[in-house]
Amino acid sequence: MSTQWLRFVDRFPHIIGLLLTGAVVTVIVTAGAFVVSVLLGLAFAGFRTSDSRLLRALAHAYVEVFRSVPVLTQLFIVYFGLAALGIRLSPLPAAVVGFGLNGGAYLTEVFRAGIEAVARGQTEAALSIGMTKLTALRVIVLPQATRIVIPALANFAIGLLKDTSLASAVAAPELSFNANMLVKETYLSTQIYMSVAAIYLGLSLPLSALSRALERRGARGSRA
Amino acid sequence: MISAATLALVREWMPELIVAAGYTLRMAVLAYGLGLVAGLLVALGEMSRRRWLSRACRVYIEFIRGTPTLTQLFLIYFGLPSVGIVLPSFAAAVVALGLHYAAYMAEIYRAGIAAVDQGQGEAASAIGMSRAEAMRHIVLPQAIRIIVPPLANNAVALLKDTSVASLIAAPELMMRADDITSEFYMPMQVYCLAGVMYFIMAFPLSLGARWLERAMARSRIRARRA
Repeated sequence: MSTQWLRFVDRFPHIIGLLLTGAVVTVIVTAGAFVVSVLLGLAFAGFRTSDSRLLRALAHAYVEVFRSVPVLTQLFIVYFGLAALGIRLSPLPAAVVGFGLNGGAYLTEVFRAGIEAVARGQTEAALSIGMTKLTALRVIVLPQATRIVIPALANFAIGLLKDTSLASAVAAPELSFNANMLVKETYLSTQIYMSVAAIYLGLSLPLSALSRALERRGARGSRA
Repeated sequence: MISAATLALVREWMPELIVAAGYTLRMAVLAYGLGLVAGLLVALGEMSRRRWLSRACRVYIEFIRGTPTLTQLFLIYFGLPSVGIVLPSFAAAVVALGLHYAAYMAEIYRAGIAAVDQGQGEAASAIGMSRAEAMRHIVLPQAIRIIVPPLANNAVALLKDTSVASLIAAPELMMRADDITSEFYMPMQVYCLAGVMYFIMAFPLSLGARWLERAMARSRIRARRA
C-alpha cells in the first residue's frame, strides 16, 4: 500500500499532466454535447408544442425512445453501428453526437415544461397585437421560459459532464480514457482513480454551486 | 440492413440476449435494494445530532454526486483489490451502483422527511415517543407519499446505468451485446436489438413511475382536504 503511494508521488507530474490533458478534452466533449443537446431540445420542444399532430408524435417518440435506452448503448450505436454502415466518426465527434442525441431528449422535456409554464395569456396577447406564432414564441415566450429552465440546464450540464466518462469506452481521449491508460501502465488504480474523482469533483462542484445560485436567483425573479 | 439472413441471426442471438437481460434485471434489483437501505441510513445519519456523522454523510453525498458512476465502479473493481478486497465483476457492479444510488436516494428521503410538518414529530415526542420511534411510526409513513415517485424514477435510471457494468465485463445485457458484436461484427443490428430490449424493460417502468407520481399527488390532495 505505502509503496504504491510512494510510486504515485514519484510519477505524479507525469500522471497529473495526462489527467489534466484529458480533463480539457472532457470539458470540450461536454461543451459540444451541451450545444447539440440544446439545439435538438429546442427543435423538438417546438415540435412537441406545435399544432401538427405528426410533429408532436415524432417528438414524443424521440423523447421516449432516447430516454429509455442507456446512453452507453446509444453511444455504441453511433460509434460502432454507424461505422459498420460506412459512416466512420472519430471518437470525439461520435461522443458529441451520441451524448447530444441523448441529452436532446431530456432537454426537449425541460424546454417543453418551460414553454408550458409561461402563461397562455402571454401568447394570446402577442397574437392579438398581430405577431405571428413564431415571433410570439421568439420574443415573448422563450425569454420568459429561459429564466424557468436555467436551473434545470445547469443540472443537466453536471450530469452530462459525468456521463462523458463513458466516452472512454469509444476511445475518446478524455479524462477517464487517459486514466485507464495510466492504470494499465502503472497499476496504481486506487491512486489514479482517486485523482480522477478529485478532478471531476473540481469540475462539477463549481457547476453545482452555480446551479444552486441560479435556482435562488430564479426563485427571486419569478416572485418579482 | 434487415434481410432474411439478418433475421435468422437475430433469432440466434435472442435467447442469449434474453438471458443477459435477466442478469441486467437481477443486477438492477440487487443494487436498488442496497441503495434503498444504504440511502435511508445515509439520510438518517445526515439528520443526526452528532456533528461528525452528519458531516460525513454530507461529504459522502457530495462525493458520489460529483463524480461519474464509472469512476466509482473502477475504484471498487480495480482499486479495492490493492487493499485486499477482491470482488467479482457482478458483485462490484451491484455494490458500486447501490452505493451510487444511495447518495441520490438519501437526498430524496431527506426532502421527504423535511416535507412532513414539524408539529408531527413534536406531537410524537410530547406523547413520550423517542426520536427513533417518532421517525418510524409518525414521520416516515407520511413521508412515503412524497418519497415514492422520485424513488421510482431512480429505478428507471438505475436500470439503464447497469449497462456501465459491461465496462468491467460484468455479465449483463450490454456485455453480451459486445460479445455478439465481436463475434459477428454487426454492431448496428446487435446494439439496436440491445436498445430495444432496454426500451422494453425501461419504458413500462417509467410509465409506472409517472402513474405513481399522479396517484401520489392525488392522494396528497385528498389527505390535505380530510
